[in-house]
Amino acid sequence: MPARNHSQWLANPELKEGEWIDSRVYSDQEIFNDEMEKIFKRVWVPVCHESELPEPYDFRTTSIAGEPIIVSRGPDKEIRAFLNVCPHRGMLLERRPSGSFLEGQPSGNPKRITCMFHAWQFDMKGNCVYVAREKEGYQDRLCKENVGLRRLRCEVKFGGFVWVTLDDSPKVSLEEWAGEPFECLRESIDAEPLEVFHYHKAIIDTNYKLWHDTNSEFYHDFMHYHNRVTGFNDAYFARKNFAFKHGHVVVGTFEVNYENYEGFESRAELSFPHLPPNQWYMVDLFPGMNFNLRGSALRCDIVTPLGPDKVMIEFRGLGLKRDTPQEREIRINHHNSIWGPFGRNLHEDLIGVAGQGTTMRPHTEQRRILHGRQENQTIHDEVGMRHYYDEWGRWMNRLPNDPEKSWHERNPAEAAAAAE
Amino acid sequence: MQKNGHDAASVVRDTIYRATMALDDQKWDDWLNLCDEEFHYRISAFSPEINKDMIYLQGKRKDMEGLVKLLPKHNTDHSPLRRHTSVYTVEVADDMSSAEAVSSFVIYQNMLDGVNSHLDSGESRLFLVGKYYDKFKLEDGKAKFVNREVRLDNRRLDKGSHWPL
Repeated sequence: MPARNHSQWLANPELKEGEWIDSRVYSDQEIFNDEMEKIFKRVWVPVCHESELPEPYDFRTTSIAGEPIIVSRGPDKEIRAFLNVCPHRGMLLERRPSGSFLEGQPSGNPKRITCMFHAWQFDMKGNCVYVAREKEGYQDRLCKENVGLRRLRCEVKFGGFVWVTLDDSPKVSLEEWAGEPFECLRESIDAEPLEVFHYHKAIIDTNYKLWHDTNSEFYHDFMHYHNRVTGFNDAYFARKNFAFKHGHVVVGTFEVNYENYEGFESRAELSFPHLPPNQWYMVDLFPGMNFNLRGSALRCDIVTPLGPDKVMIEFRGLGLKRDTPQEREIRINHHNSIWGPFGRNLHEDLIGVAGQGTTMRPHTEQRRILHGRQENQTIHDEVGMRHYYDEWGRWMNRLPNDPEKSWHERNPAEAAAAAE
Repeated sequence: MQKNGHDAASVVRDTIYRATMALDDQKWDDWLNLCDEEFHYRISAFSPEINKDMIYLQGKRKDMEGLVKLLPKHNTDHSPLRRHTSVYTVEVADDMSSAEAVSSFVIYQNMLDGVNSHLDSGESRLFLVGKYYDKFKLEDGKAKFVNREVRLDNRRLDKGSHWPL
């Protein structure tokens, strides 16, 4: 077909429903607001790794759906999560990304979470333990026992990641949420403690789902010289995508030939426990988290959507806690040669989604985005994205290819079953 | 070799600035020609988030040669990276055979691609800030890099880059 006129350009593609979506899901502010309320405030999010707060009183700060969160390790070594909000007048309790409450702060005592504004203090369980001039100001009308922090559900699981949800009554437990997709990695990432060795972040003018899409489809390997020369063979093209409940996808493994890229080496000697040499598994969790194990290094991407056209992606690299300095350096090199900010692949992936973000900015003309490759669920089949957007429609009650229409009305039986 | 440390320090400064210009102009071979066979390159940063020193990229001279040789096969952001370098200190060894230098740098992207080249091209945006920690071999009146640590202040790196910094 020659280049199309406007109405041809806007016509629906000759594909089945589910094989294409409307670009407004990537660009519309109202849809974005809905996603924060209906999805991000209700799912389990891996906010950091336990190795980032190894000692009692260590803390990390983060956020989900715009809500600031503090994660801390108590003297009992348990990791807990709270809103990072003072119950007095809404001040941010801790402003740094990490640190230790063992040290006293100008407004407060050691071993306390102290609000610098009016010196209210909280212990590691979130109890309010000090209200400055409590009796003078509140008499018997308000007591510190009733103004504790907002505690959030928090679990350490799947390789030591710290998972938090803003929902006090999540639809499913964390195990039910992600246990099945993690089955392929469990032996490897739960055999012994892991440790984060790499962190950086990117803020990109694109929709968060476009990043997740990129992590969910491998057709874009044509963009990566590294992946073409180390991957494209029969085993690569036989690699399968597996869909799981809740919109998650696992990309099955194959053996990567790293030596085919000049200057790179096999990763066989430092494989994660129980992982055959140079294998590569990938777990994509709804709505935008990715765990990627390439032989000797584990990568984790966590998205923090900032708007319909802006996302922060945090990148972590992990090895085994018991690594010798020499082993750790090799793992770091393996990780960063591909996935680091100056590595061979990540830069290319980020250019790709930034380019999509440019064409799908808010108020741009709606487009049809194709997810229709069918190749028996093998590596270039786009089943991962189709599976994701089916789940997205369910949570959002919007049809991905016509987001103003109700998913529940189109799928009454499934909607009724879900309601039960 | 120069007769005194002052001359040697000048040669070191000159070599750092020549490296700056070669990197600005993407003349990778010119840059590598300023480096000794034993050259080691490293981009590093400290992350308060994970409380760790990190290595973002490292390699020996041979690795860097391979990296730049394969650049044409890789998709990359076309916006040139250019830098301001200021040499802060040069310490020449007593035997005049080696030197160490600390420089600060500011790298900016002179936008070509941008988010949308129609809007962004021509603009310069701050990309990276940090320090170069360099070590040199001094021989025959020349200074050759034997080690360069590119120590970044940034951990927010957005699209990153394929190019040596």
